[in-house]
Amino acid sequence: MVEPLLLFDALLGLAIAALAVAVLTVHDRFAMIVLFIVFGLMSALAWVRLSAPDVALAEAAIGTGLTGALLLTTLHHIRAAPAAPVPVPGGVVVANLGLCALIFGGLAFAFLLTPLQAPGLAPAVAQNMAASGVGHPVTAVLLNFRAYDTLMEVVVLLAAIVAVWMVERGTVQAPAPVLGEIYRGFSRLALPAIVVIGSYLLWVGAQAPGGAFQGGAVLAAVGLLLLLGRLYRPQPAHRPFARAGFVLGTAVFAGVALLVAGGGRLPFEYPAAHAKTLILLIEGMVTISIAVTLAALFHGREPEAVPVSEKSE
Amino acid sequence: MTAWLTLVALGVLASLAGALWRVWRGPDPADRMMAAQLVGTGGVALLVLLAPPQDWAALDVALALALLAALAAVGFVKARSPDGAGDPEEAPPPADLARRGDDG
Repeated sequence: MVEPLLLFDALLGLAIAALAVAVLTVHDRFAMIVLFIVFGLMSALAWVRLSAPDVALAEAAIGTGLTGALLLTTLHHIRAAPAAPVPVPGGVVVANLGLCALIFGGLAFAFLLTPLQAPGLAPAVAQNMAASGVGHPVTAVLLNFRAYDTLMEVVVLLAAIVAVWMVERGTVQAPAPVLGEIYRGFSRLALPAIVVIGSYLLWVGAQAPGGAFQGGAVLAAVGLLLLLGRLYRPQPAHRPFARAGFVLGTAVFAGVALLVAGGGRLPFEYPAAHAKTLILLIEGMVTISIAVTLAALFHGREPEAVPVSEKSE
Repeated sequence: MTAWLTLVALGVLASLAGALWRVWRGPDPADRMMAAQLVGTGGVALLVLLAPPQDWAALDVALALALLAALAAVGFVKARSPDGAGDPEEAPPPADLARRGDDG
C-alpha cells in the first residue's frame, strides 16, 4: 500500500505546479489574482509539510491575506482595459528559454551534488542555543546569530515605504461608505481576534514558530480592515506618527547593536543575562514597524493634501 | 489514529481539486472568489488534520489562515460595489446618503 502522506505530498505538489501554470497562462486579470491567492495558500500547506511552520505562517499571512487584498484593490484602481498582448519576437523566446535552462541546470547541479545526509549548520545552532537567550532555533538564528541580515530585511521594508511615499501622494476624496451589517459584524469579530493572534505570534516566537515578521504581518491586517472600511482615514497631520512607526524597528534594532558594540563586544553579541530581553525588545518594536509599514504600503500613498488638479487619478 | 487523520486529510485535499477547477474556469468573478474562500476553509481543515502527525505549530498557521483568508473576500466585495460600501447588488447611493456618510 502507498504511504498516505506520500500520496498527500504528491497531490499537493501537483496542485501547486498546476496552479503556477494556470496563474501564468490565464488571460483574465481577476482570475490571475484569485489563482495567485490560492497558490499562496497551497504553498503555506507545502511549507508545513516541509517542517517549516515559520515560513508557512508568513506565507499564510502575507501570501494569502495581505497580497490578495492588495492586488484586488489595485485591480479596482486600474481603469484601463488590458492591452492586447504584443507578439514576442522569436529571438527573445529562445534567449529566455536558454536562460531558464541555465538556471534549471545550475539548480539541478547543486541539488545532485549536495550529499543527502549533510548535517548543514543545524548542529552548530543546536550547540549554541543555550547562549542565544531564546528556545526556538529559527528565532535564535534570525535575531542573534544572523541578526545583521534581519536588520537589513527591516531596512528593505523601510526603503519600500519611502519609495511609495515619494511616488504617490494625496488623500482619499471619496465619501466614507455606509458600512453594511455584514462588514461591521465581520470587523467586530475579526479585529480583536487578529490583535490577540498577532501579539501571541510575537510572544511565542521565542519558544516556537512565530516571531516579529509573522506577528507584524497578522497585525497589519488590522490596518487593512480599518482602511478597507474607511474606519480610519489617513490625514496629513498623522504623517509624523506614521514616520515614527516606520523607523521605530530599524532604529531600536540598530540602537541595540550600537549599545552592545559600545560595551566592547561585537555589535550583536548580546550579554547572555539580557539576551532574551533585548531580543524581545527588538522583536516588539520591529513588529510594530512591520505592521504600520505593511498597512501604509496597502494604502499606497503619502496622505498629503494635494489640489484636485494635480491629482494623478 | 494519525493514519486515519492522514486519510481524511487526503480526502479533503482531493475535494479541494473541485474548488481549484472552479477558481480556474470561473466563469463569474464571484464564482472564483467563493471557490477561493472554499480553498481557504479547506486549507484550515487540512492544517488542523496535519497538526497531530506533523507538527502542532500547524495549528498556529491554521489560526492565521482562518483570520486572514477572508481579507481577500472583503477586498473583493468592496472593489465590486459602486460606492465601495460592501454590497454589490445595491444601487448607487442617493446623493444625500453619500453626503451624510462624508462626516462619518
